[in-house]
Amino acid sequence: MIHAGWRAEALVDDTHNALEQGLLPASILSDPDIYELEKERIFGRAWVFLAHESEIANPGDYVVRYIVDDSFIVVRDDNGQVQVLFNSCRHRGMQVCRTEKGRGATFVCPYHGWTYRNDGQLIGVPHEKQIYDDEELNKEDIRLISLPRVESHEGWIFGNLDPGAPSLPEYLGDLRWYLRLYTHKSDAGLEVIGTPQRWVVLANWKLGASNFIGDGYHTSTTHLSTVHTGQIVGRPDFLLDGVQVTAGIGGLGFRRLPKELASTRGFPSHIMDSLRRNAPEQVRIVEDGLFPSHGTVFPNLSFLPAASVLKPGDPPVPYFTLRLWRPISPVEIEIWSWFLIERDAPPQLKEASHKALVISFGSSGMLEQDDTENWSSITRAASGQMARRQYFNYRMGLKHLQPMTDWPGPGTAYPLDYTEANERAFFRTWLDYMSRRPSDNGER
Amino acid sequence: MSRKNRVSEHIHRDVSEFLIEEADLLDAGQLREWLDLLTDDVTYRMPVRVTVDREAEPAEDGGYTHFNDDRHTLGMRVERLHTKFAWAEEPRSRTRHFVSNIRVEPGEGNGEVRVKSNLLLYRTRGDSPRHDLLSAERHDVLRQVNGSWKLAQRTILLDQSTVGTHNLAVFL
Repeated sequence: MIHAGWRAEALVDDTHNALEQGLLPASILSDPDIYELEKERIFGRAWVFLAHESEIANPGDYVVRYIVDDSFIVVRDDNGQVQVLFNSCRHRGMQVCRTEKGRGATFVCPYHGWTYRNDGQLIGVPHEKQIYDDEELNKEDIRLISLPRVESHEGWIFGNLDPGAPSLPEYLGDLRWYLRLYTHKSDAGLEVIGTPQRWVVLANWKLGASNFIGDGYHTSTTHLSTVHTGQIVGRPDFLLDGVQVTAGIGGLGFRRLPKELASTRGFPSHIMDSLRRNAPEQVRIVEDGLFPSHGTVFPNLSFLPAASVLKPGDPPVPYFTLRLWRPISPVEIEIWSWFLIERDAPPQLKEASHKALVISFGSSGMLEQDDTENWSSITRAASGQMARRQYFNYRMGLKHLQPMTDWPGPGTAYPLDYTEANERAFFRTWLDYMSRRPSDNGER
Repeated sequence: MSRKNRVSEHIHRDVSEFLIEEADLLDAGQLREWLDLLTDDVTYRMPVRVTVDREAEPAEDGGYTHFNDDRHTLGMRVERLHTKFAWAEEPRSRTRHFVSNIRVEPGEGNGEVRVKSNLLLYRTRGDSPRHDLLSAERHDVLRQVNGSWKLAQRTILLDQSTVGTHNLAVFL
């Protein structure tokens, strides 16, 4: 394992000191040594989202997913088990799967023809009997390398490169309580429609993740245009009146809406009825008029339910998206955007929700267009010598905003979504991972 | 496209002129005028492309899109760009739409033709010399409305599964 240089360690120390005062060094958004350290200490240890179970519903179904640079085949094997296999032949390393999705019983290496069953077991080696002695090659002993840890939460499949990582429930912690608001609107659960959008942006991965966890403030300027055109109903500062919650490995924000709207948001009543059954404590928050909105699971999975007007005068149509900020380099990400909806939503709602999401978030989304413009511009500004002198101001709510005492859920809740509490929490978690040397948790 | 399925020379010329004028409006940022080229029932789609085995092609994903628009949502996109707060295109990108390989067939509906064209979209932003280049095949339906051609359907098949530009704040 490569240890990034002293400069990265010094920058991490600097970030420690700065964050205590609510400041963040710009360089951590572009520094190559920081990036090397992140790959090892964050993406080598944290639970990273791979796929939703509905994407691989049947035996043999697979999708190819990434943890930073590594390609994995996420496949439901013939016994119905989810396997996450390193996409590299054990003979010469050729990628045995070069499609993005499909269905198959085997993966065949194009180089010498080694053939693997969809649970990763080597089952075929051309000319085996003529060329190999039993002592040289025993197929039984050879499998595609499995990702050390794979666990699923409510159908969301995560993987972890660290064999010693805490369990996924332990990792998610109190955030699990809130995720029920997103995953349990219907007894039938969520399903992914189609294949996620992928596109590249010249921006650091932390900008997307930290925006979604707690930057309610940007909406009134960044997304002002969508209020002017009537796509978003309400005032430009629609997230000011809300609640921000730091919980477990992430956090989220709630937007206050008229009570009736918060609890239906365009969904048929049976869907809210199932939320009442499945999340009886959580649903009280929604019935009080707080609509669960943006959030992030550290390090790089964000989620967002919202609603968009499709036609002037019509009520907003709800949508839900999961998005992954996959690091490509210190200054480049590939964004993955999934469209999910309750399996038992009426077909017309599914079609309308698809439209609502596409015009709002994703590659052409009218809100996300402006986000990517901001994040790439920030990354450029953070890439030079002056970044060493630039400390971003993350002080909103640092001194005076007190946590709520009457909040019904776990974690720490603040009575405004315009606070930077969650963003500070995100970077504290970042520091926690970045400060732990490999030996601290028994790694080599 | 077989020879017998071809349209008359003057229709072919009309369609070519339509697509070239359309590209001119898009590159000039005359987007309200561009909207006038669309029928009221226009559909404007760009499916997510996905890499699959040859036998599983077409590699258009049936379920999810980069654009899934109608006249109302396209109108909202254009009006947004006129608000002065559409930062993604404030200042504007420079774009150049190169349209070629125009293939025209009789359409199914009255006064309609089916058109395929190749598109190369060059885009730069600000003072960066870096450019994004998007290549696509467009499948259009054009319809004659009161003597003028209008775009009634467009499906954009991008030649990438991972889109190589930071946002689709531009039209293809």
